[in-house]
Amino acid sequence: MISLSWYLGLSALLFTIGAIGVIIKRNVITIFLCIELMLNAVNLSFVSLSSYFKEISGQLFVFIVMTVAAAEAAVGLAIIISIFRNRASLNVDEADNLKM
Amino acid sequence: MEKLGISYQAILPETILSLVAIAIMMIDAFARRIERKVAGAISLIGLLAAGAALLSLWGKNGETSYSGMIVTDDFRLFFGLIFILVAILILLISLRWVEDEKLPKGEYFALLLFATTGMLLMSAANDLVMIFLGLEITSIATYVLCGYRRNDLRSNESAVKYFILGSYSTAFLLYGIAMLYGASYRATATPVATTNLTLLKERIATGQIYSYEMLFAGAALMLVGFGFKIAAAPFHVWSPDVYEGAPTPITALLSTGSKASAFAAFARVFVLTFALAPVAMNSSGVPGNFQTTITNVLIVMAILTMTIGNFVAMVQTNIKRMLAYSSIAHAGYALVGLAAGDWSSVAFYMLGYVVINIGAFAIIEVIARRGDKRTEISDYAGIGFKSLGLATALSLFLLSLAGIPLTAGFMSKLLVFKSAWAAGANNKFFYYLVVIGVINSAVSWYYYLRVIVAMFFSDSTVEFKAPIISRSLATGLIIAILGTLYLGILPGNILNALERARDRIAMKK
Repeated sequence: MISLSWYLGLSALLFTIGAIGVIIKRNVITIFLCIELMLNAVNLSFVSLSSYFKEISGQLFVFIVMTVAAAEAAVGLAIIISIFRNRASLNVDEADNLKM
Repeated sequence: MEKLGISYQAILPETILSLVAIAIMMIDAFARRIERKVAGAISLIGLLAAGAALLSLWGKNGETSYSGMIVTDDFRLFFGLIFILVAILILLISLRWVEDEKLPKGEYFALLLFATTGMLLMSAANDLVMIFLGLEITSIATYVLCGYRRNDLRSNESAVKYFILGSYSTAFLLYGIAMLYGASYRATATPVATTNLTLLKERIATGQIYSYEMLFAGAALMLVGFGFKIAAAPFHVWSPDVYEGAPTPITALLSTGSKASAFAAFARVFVLTFALAPVAMNSSGVPGNFQTTITNVLIVMAILTMTIGNFVAMVQTNIKRMLAYSSIAHAGYALVGLAAGDWSSVAFYMLGYVVINIGAFAIIEVIARRGDKRTEISDYAGIGFKSLGLATALSLFLLSLAGIPLTAGFMSKLLVFKSAWAAGANNKFFYYLVVIGVINSAVSWYYYLRVIVAMFFSDSTVEFKAPIISRSLATGLIIAILGTLYLGILPGNILNALERARDRIAMKK
């Protein structure tokens, strides 16, 4: 059997890839996908811990996280569409109206 | 934990608010368009009913319901009443604004109420799952509100930035929750692993933790998540952009309601759970203490937050951006109370900050006019005698933010510094913290006074006509002014109640 630390390690790796992606990527949609990757890395942690402990609440938590992520995606994509309509660009470097 | 503990009374305030919000959306959809006064009146009634429902829970000391998800204690009541006050004030200052800006009315009030529901849940949460849900309900509603002026590029940009950094920080918080869930494992207990804060505290206090590394990692990740939400340095960079671009009443909501609710959850986890359960850390032979480590990190964070907030605020030319940095600095002062482990001083700080800051933003909203056009500090030059009432009220709020005696700002600062000084007996770093805090609040006088000097002692460069103030906004302003003075001159009643509440919760543990 693969030990728990492998799952947790994979989850940490995915989370880090997502976190770095948010910082270095320039397209809003890619950044958004990186955030989704981070959330799913956390879900992997929950599921593996829950199955290792034989305790169900961690897996229930994953359902809540998925629901919230879906709601967030709906709002986020709407926001991205509204800025795209006004600017016709998804590059975050060009969103600099508010710099001092 | 075994029984389900379903109690409709325990979640009555949240239920009322969400039902009222859904009702407003439904009326708006079926009647084609809802009159702003109707929507405003319904929301106001809903908020007052939720406040009454919250008061009906008075006197319960730590009863939990829904399998320990919701807890009813004085902590919840105080913070809950602060959120209701925030929502009522925001409603009053934006009732006319929403009409003038020609924005859709139904959704605006519904979203405001949904955001308040999330805040109430955060203060009532006794489980990390509930904190996460409350936080997300608030965040999703405020993401939309930030971008509510859809044709304004600044508003769009503010919404995108808030959305990306908000979800980014939520992911960190969530990872922290997962780590704490793993750390809580104990094979002989039921349930074997948990996210319930009461059980988590017991397990940390008795030292029966599955892995200290996970406990530390979980606490650190949650610290990052909460740090983002309260805009504490070094996680504050999003807030000036978001505050500047969001419509002014929403900026007021973000800087008071969202911040206070994040502080409520922060205090629930870090003060009422971690700080009350000290334990020696002994894994891999490293001596140390979980509680001291967290306290020291919080002290460093408070120092950084205050200093960065105040010093960067000095060079700002836009008043909303300046108040955003001022808001960062104030999060730093409140963190002083949090680091000292005194949640009652944080609650009082938030109450004071809420009335002052919403008052200040109400005036900025009136002066900015339609489309948030006049928000530069140079726009305020010489308006003092053309619009004496507004300028005087704004001066009062700014002086109170700086901490002039006899106003709420002074009392709340005094209180957090007092509790930090008391905590200095155990940890001498608190003395430095208090000294740095006092120096910082002296520095902050410079940029608050700059606006007052511009208003009264310089010649106007632009044409200025005294704006018309609607009745609802005037009511909100009067509440804010009276609140600022009341909390500064006669804080006795509230302070006594808070002190009793703190002792009661501390005794129960």
